[in-house]
Amino acid sequence: MHGLLSVSGLKKVYEGSGRRVEAVRDLTFTVDAGELVCLVGPSGCGKTTLLKCMAGLLTPTSGEVLLEGRPVSGPPPGMAVVFQEYGRSLFPWMRVGENVELPLKQKQLSRQRRRALVADALESVGLGDAAGAYPWQLSGGMQQRVAIARALAYEPDVLLMDEPFAAVDAQTRADLEDLVRGLWRDRGITILFVTHDIDEAVYLGERVLILSASPTVVQEQLKVDLPSERDQLHTRVDPRFAELRTRVYEQIQAAKRGVVPGA
Amino acid sequence: MKHTRPDDARPKSTRPRQAGRPGPANAALGAAGLAGFLALCEAVPRLGIVSEDYFPPLSRIADALVTELGDRTFWTALGDTLTGWAVGLAIAVTAGILAGVGIAVVPFLREATASTIEFLRPIPSVALIPLAVLLYGTELRSVLLLVVYASFWQVLIQVLYGVQDVDPVAEETARSYGLGTWARVRHVLWPTALPYVMTGVRLAAAVALILAVTAELVIGAPGLGARIMVAQTSQAVPEMYALVVVTGALGLVINVGARTVERRALAWHQSVRGEVAV
Repeated sequence: MHGLLSVSGLKKVYEGSGRRVEAVRDLTFTVDAGELVCLVGPSGCGKTTLLKCMAGLLTPTSGEVLLEGRPVSGPPPGMAVVFQEYGRSLFPWMRVGENVELPLKQKQLSRQRRRALVADALESVGLGDAAGAYPWQLSGGMQQRVAIARALAYEPDVLLMDEPFAAVDAQTRADLEDLVRGLWRDRGITILFVTHDIDEAVYLGERVLILSASPTVVQEQLKVDLPSERDQLHTRVDPRFAELRTRVYEQIQAAKRGVVPGA
Repeated sequence: MKHTRPDDARPKSTRPRQAGRPGPANAALGAAGLAGFLALCEAVPRLGIVSEDYFPPLSRIADALVTELGDRTFWTALGDTLTGWAVGLAIAVTAGILAGVGIAVVPFLREATASTIEFLRPIPSVALIPLAVLLYGTELRSVLLLVVYASFWQVLIQVLYGVQDVDPVAEETARSYGLGTWARVRHVLWPTALPYVMTGVRLAAAVALILAVTAELVIGAPGLGARIMVAQTSQAVPEMYALVVVTGALGLVINVGARTVERRALAWHQSVRGEVAV
């Protein structure tokens, strides 16, 4: 039984100039269709390596990634990635609308369909009137919204987000978290959200995957049984929220000390 | 490699935007400086500090220039020079861009060509004059050979630096959205390299003019250079200076034109847009 996205026995070893670094040792997990899963782990635990392997940007040393049962060997058409570095991921030589539209041109969609998708995606991230601006004319938070809109317009089965809010200020970050929750609820897309922020993982996720320190394995999986309606004010003071974040925090501390669960 | 661009190619983001822009005071100062220089050119020969035979006063050069401008053969010569310049530059820019992008896209080409490029690039174009004369005599093609050789490297080297500058995040974004090699060249590599290409073209445009005039002067191919040569051998000193002034003005116009094109094509680039208040 496979989920929509399944990772099995994934291992990635970087070799070069006499050094051999085992970034990811043995990762196995699945993400079901329509789920919002957060991946947390101590810094340097190979989150980005894992994400790049899933996105088909890196070839794993062993193990495999399956998207809808098909092995991922290059960037799959049903997947979109939102990178942390929005300023570098958006093309400064294109206007916002063109940035969002470019991947759609590669999909050979009709002009009319592209226009509709771009307008809808920008509207849903609250930037309906920014299509004519250049990305560098926008604030950081708005730029990341554009990157999210670009991913939405692509109509992916799975949306991978690599620490997308690590570089924005706290207030913007709260807004963007609610935006992602809202998009997930309204559009029913599957989201895998990588973060190093424990609160963010618990607040956003329906499930949290905790990774160990490098060489990385899955330390624990935690179901987030908070109500699906969440808001910054109430959810974060919910006693259950505090319990969950404590649990995740403990696991990450254990991971840093190298304690393997059940051992 | 990123930091090996010539100084004027580097984005000027750290510099306040106003610094490069002449304000009214700067313009006045510039005009005063020019006027002073012109007055000096008039005064020095008149005062007998240098002989008027070799350095006629400015007013006589100006007279000669007016006479030149009324002469149909002058315009033919100017046309010849501009033809050599433009055709040579066009060939060099096209070849430089195609070669540069080609080398960037095919990794082993880079390794294979690096040392050859480093060897061929420093050969002064004028050293090829004997070859040009042997091959093409005093035809336009002689001029073209020299112009193309000199300006090709300017463009190629800049393109090679430019294609190195592609941001890995931009590249991964493009790949993750399924852009193929050609689409990535067109939408990522080419816009990234464009600021470098523009610098290369601007440098090449200046070098091409120098080489066009040099070739005409030395080989005797028709053009302003050959006309300067004729003026010199027939002791028409003011005319000779007038023609030199024309070549200088030509260089100025070419540089201003190249900068205008650059600013328009790179409106999105940091060096042109300056700091945007967000």
